[in-house]
Amino acid sequence: MLHSVRMLLVALLLAAPGAAYGAKDLVVGVPATLTGLDPADLNDNLSQSAARLMFEGLYNLDEHMKLQPQLAESYEATEDAKEFTFHLRKGITFHDGTPFNAQAVKFSFDRAGNPDNHLKRQSLYVMIDHTDVVDDYTVRMVLKYPFGAFVNDVAHPGALIMSPKSIQEYGKEVTRHPSGTGPYTFVSWSADTLKMKKNEHYWKQGQPKIDTITYRTVPENGARIAMLQAGEAQFIYPVPPELIASLQNSPTVTVFNEPSILGRYVYLNNMRKPFNDPRVRLALNYAIDKQAFIKVVFNGHADPIDSPAPQLLPFYEKQGFYAYDPAKAKALLAEAGYPNGFESTLTGGADTLVQRGMQFIQQQLAAVGIKINVEPLEAGVLTAKMFNVKGPEDATIVMLYGGWSSSTGDADWGLRPILYTKSFPPVLSNLAWYSNPVTDAAIEAGLATVDLTKRAAAYAKVQEQAWKDAPWIFLSVDHSLAAYSKKLHGAFMRPDQQFYLRTDASLD
Amino acid sequence: MSDVALATPTIRSPSAEFWRRFRRKHVALLSGGVLLLLIVAAAAAPWIAPYGPTTPDYDSVLAGPSWQHLCGTDTFGRDIFSRILWGGRISLTVGFVSVALGGLAGVVLGLVSGFFGGLVDGFIMRLMDVLLAFPGILLAIGVVALLGPGIDNVIYAIAVFSVPVFARLVRGSTLALKQTLYVQAARSIGVRAPMLMLRHILPGTLPSVIVYCSLRVGTSILTAAALSFIGLGAPPPSPEWGTMLAEGRSYLGVADQITLFPGIAIFVTVLAFNLLGDGLRDALDQKLR
Repeated sequence: MLHSVRMLLVALLLAAPGAAYGAKDLVVGVPATLTGLDPADLNDNLSQSAARLMFEGLYNLDEHMKLQPQLAESYEATEDAKEFTFHLRKGITFHDGTPFNAQAVKFSFDRAGNPDNHLKRQSLYVMIDHTDVVDDYTVRMVLKYPFGAFVNDVAHPGALIMSPKSIQEYGKEVTRHPSGTGPYTFVSWSADTLKMKKNEHYWKQGQPKIDTITYRTVPENGARIAMLQAGEAQFIYPVPPELIASLQNSPTVTVFNEPSILGRYVYLNNMRKPFNDPRVRLALNYAIDKQAFIKVVFNGHADPIDSPAPQLLPFYEKQGFYAYDPAKAKALLAEAGYPNGFESTLTGGADTLVQRGMQFIQQQLAAVGIKINVEPLEAGVLTAKMFNVKGPEDATIVMLYGGWSSSTGDADWGLRPILYTKSFPPVLSNLAWYSNPVTDAAIEAGLATVDLTKRAAAYAKVQEQAWKDAPWIFLSVDHSLAAYSKKLHGAFMRPDQQFYLRTDASLD
Repeated sequence: MSDVALATPTIRSPSAEFWRRFRRKHVALLSGGVLLLLIVAAAAAPWIAPYGPTTPDYDSVLAGPSWQHLCGTDTFGRDIFSRILWGGRISLTVGFVSVALGGLAGVVLGLVSGFFGGLVDGFIMRLMDVLLAFPGILLAIGVVALLGPGIDNVIYAIAVFSVPVFARLVRGSTLALKQTLYVQAARSIGVRAPMLMLRHILPGTLPSVIVYCSLRVGTSILTAAALSFIGLGAPPPSPEWGTMLAEGRSYLGVADQITLFPGIAIFVTVLAFNLLGDGLRDALDQKLR
């Protein structure tokens, strides 16, 4: 008798692991460990996506990267893009009970923007001169210079609003004691697991609908997929492109496969021979078969890029397509004085996809007589090589296999860091050392106003000029690749490749 | 007279004696045959491989085995069979050269150490103990980390961790041989040290060295593949077998041929060297008789 009772208990436990009493538990399988939970001090997509579940900003970018009011209800900007006034939502409290109001916003912004605090996201705030509390639920930011993309800055995870009390109480340690206004509250965080639970007092009625969320770090691609298939995780990312096929026919799993805003380029050092000759840069663009690149490197799960900006970036304008034409490439090279090609070094990261991409470029350029030495570097070494420079003279990289994704979702951050003369490393990431006064002027014009038609015209000019100058080899736009259980609704990879859970997300 | 001749036991030369015993080891003979085939195939790769080792074919990427591509193709549409043949050149070269280098250094150190004894012996052997204290692969990773990745450095790395085992082996035999009557006799008539070592002691240590070489080549090939697999050996697009495995790893379950066939190549080669080594030991080792 006792035996059979025990058997019954075991059977019950086996039948419903983790789903006891109908709790809705979401496990997200992620590739790396979190670096922290202080939103003003985070640089990586992964930790930012976790912070997004516990914190909210004045504005937010939804699953399509569209601006949505969150803790603010609306905003007004002056015509010269120098003053932004936000009207805040009322009756919200932080997880630790502190009321959310204009003072809290000012406190959060002042702390994150203060260079003495050495927070990683300080650069988001450099244009702010000061923040004024107009009344309890109105806050105004006055900028030092026009910044037309300011609301996108405010929607960035680096501008999430933190409870002033938690910062005063924990100081630097606030990264382990996050307290925001978001739909989930912090439970615990150890080496490879972050646990959150439902915020019972969330300001949106009846939400959230999921009881607990666990972020689990699983570095191995195959292990992450196995977890999803076994039902131990309900959402996993990334899924490497070559393994998408293995999940496509699964009855329990949905594959997420949508274009992102991550453009893939080979940055050519525009100040060095032979890449200072525009004909050579054009030749390289004609020498690469972009369709084959996508097929070989991404198993077809990417799109060719037809402008310096990816298709989903605001103000994107289609420019054209450098179709594969090795004969034309050879002719251009001969015209530029390299009838027999030349030798160069292609630098990049060490992970599989990057190595595969670099090998492909090497093969294709060999066909037009250019001999490429591939130099794969470990992440830390690569970053040092990219940014430990004083100016174009001591740059050691001549060809860099890289990419760019606008983390604010705005065209300014999608183009200025990689095309503006004042963005030369180590300041920002103009790794091609590209400099054209026409482009520079258009970039500045795009920031000088909040008028959308004027901004659109400015960024159209930037794209047109940069496409003509071809400072890079234009390759492709990545797809965001993830997979999730058919039971989960309302989970996405946003085009900036950040995991995004709607507040009304649910689990069957 | 003829009666006497019949009664005399047949005296065979050492090599004939070895062959008489070795040819009865069928498994070892077979392994030897397989290895011979591998070596010939690798050497003849430029003439017999149906495709170039890095020639891409974007119209047939990730194709399964077929008559056009005996072992299928990889991500870049490269023919895996041709790559294995070309990769064999690298793997076998690494195996032989690294063991030759390590063996040479080890034999010299072992001879000197065993022959002179005393402080020299103590010093050399403690040095070897230090090297032996590291697991082989760890030592090799350390050496490659110092010298930088690349197949040449892999050869040095593997040579370094082969040295102490050879040194110990030869020192042991040298100590034993030093006491034998013929060496004592040679010494008593004034044969000098270098001559004693090279002429009288070294040949006596060779059987065990040969056996060990054969076993070691297998291990070396495996280690080289492991180093390449973790990105310290031959960089892509080299068709080194470990590099091929590493490249195919992410395709497991989708395109198994990329890892399966180089894996088989490594397995067969290493197994053949080990079985050959076992056979050689049985045929050469005095103690097992």
